[in-house]
Amino acid sequence: MKLQFFLNGTDVVWDVRPDEYLSNALRRHGIFSIRVGCDESICGSCTVLVDEKPVLSCSVLAITVNGKHVTTVEGIQEEVARLSHFFGEEGANQCSYCGSGMAIIIHALKKEYKNPTDEQIRDFMVGNICRCTGYHSQFKAIKAYLAEGK
Amino acid sequence: MSLRANNYYKATSLDDAYQKLKDNPKNAIIAGGLWMKKTGLSYETLIDLSELHLNEIKVNKDEIHVGALVTLRDFETNPEIKKLNGGATSFGVSEVVGPAFRNTATIGGSIFGRFPFSDVIASLLPLDVTVKLYPEQSYSLEEFLNIKGKVDGILTEIVIKKEEGKGYFHKVKATSLDFAMVNISISKRNNKHYIAVGSRPLVASLARKAMIEADKGDFKEAARLAAEELSYLDSNNISKAYRQDLVKVYVLRGLEEVNK
Repeated sequence: MKLQFFLNGTDVVWDVRPDEYLSNALRRHGIFSIRVGCDESICGSCTVLVDEKPVLSCSVLAITVNGKHVTTVEGIQEEVARLSHFFGEEGANQCSYCGSGMAIIIHALKKEYKNPTDEQIRDFMVGNICRCTGYHSQFKAIKAYLAEGK
Repeated sequence: MSLRANNYYKATSLDDAYQKLKDNPKNAIIAGGLWMKKTGLSYETLIDLSELHLNEIKVNKDEIHVGALVTLRDFETNPEIKKLNGGATSFGVSEVVGPAFRNTATIGGSIFGRFPFSDVIASLLPLDVTVKLYPEQSYSLEEFLNIKGKVDGILTEIVIKKEEGKGYFHKVKATSLDFAMVNISISKRNNKHYIAVGSRPLVASLARKAMIEADKGDFKEAARLAAEELSYLDSNNISKAYRQDLVKVYVLRGLEEVNK
């Protein structure tokens, strides 16, 4: 099937199977920032934005994004670079497998809340699993990142 | 594991979708598709309803109409939904995995599946909720959950009656991302109590004897009855007896909360 959508602002047309998931289609086309961790809609490593909302690309059929805007970390590189600085400062990334999914969900958090409470930050992050750090350092990094420029 | 399908079809009307559904027993409506993925089943054609404007929440004086394709995230963050049941309904739905998951999962898919573990069904069951299907059928949520066998039709919307009330929702879970060991959902409206217990691990039910005792003001007895009158089962992570103990504790806490 023909799939036309906007990938990080670029109009693309791909051939996809009716049962192909977005994560697979993206990786098949070289977008390796998409990590498929659990492939069961739980871990959040495959998170992308579809029309500015975070979704789990391992659980969204590629054909359903026809005509929509899909954003991966490649589409928000400046923001990711800034966020990486705070993650580095706090030692919040070790293997970084979860990093791109985290960056996308933090981007969405920042868009949704001007001044998120600690509870709102935790609620947003609950679907993004990290098996290295234990979350405290990431939480501190996110708070510092969100506080920047206030 | 992943679902397999040979074709994908965008329906142009509800009738078109229904005809396509009836064409082949291996055709299926896809909503969020999250649970369909987990089943790993094979389908001939997946039928997409996204062109049919079922992703809207409409509010009038007495009711909230929630389209079947409204995502859980749009549902829980809707200002009118947040007012329902003292916020407990919105909170209950927000307990499902994380926001990225809830941006895909839909109200229609969550209810039509009649999943035993569903936090969505448990959250809604104590409220006055009508489930609407195409071809035209209308059930209370409780009736819908009790339909035997496969439901013939397409869930188009749920209608929630707007009533002032206090609410309580508690999901007992080992970690944030787990299915509930048990979920307790209570509503108090017009001096009547409505108590639903889900993930027993059976689909949520109203504890009717407990509701009568709660209306009389005997909350301890209501909690004891809720733990006795419904069926409970053992599962891998929790025994039937422990489930019943949890229900006793949390129903009592919930009743105290809505009567503060």
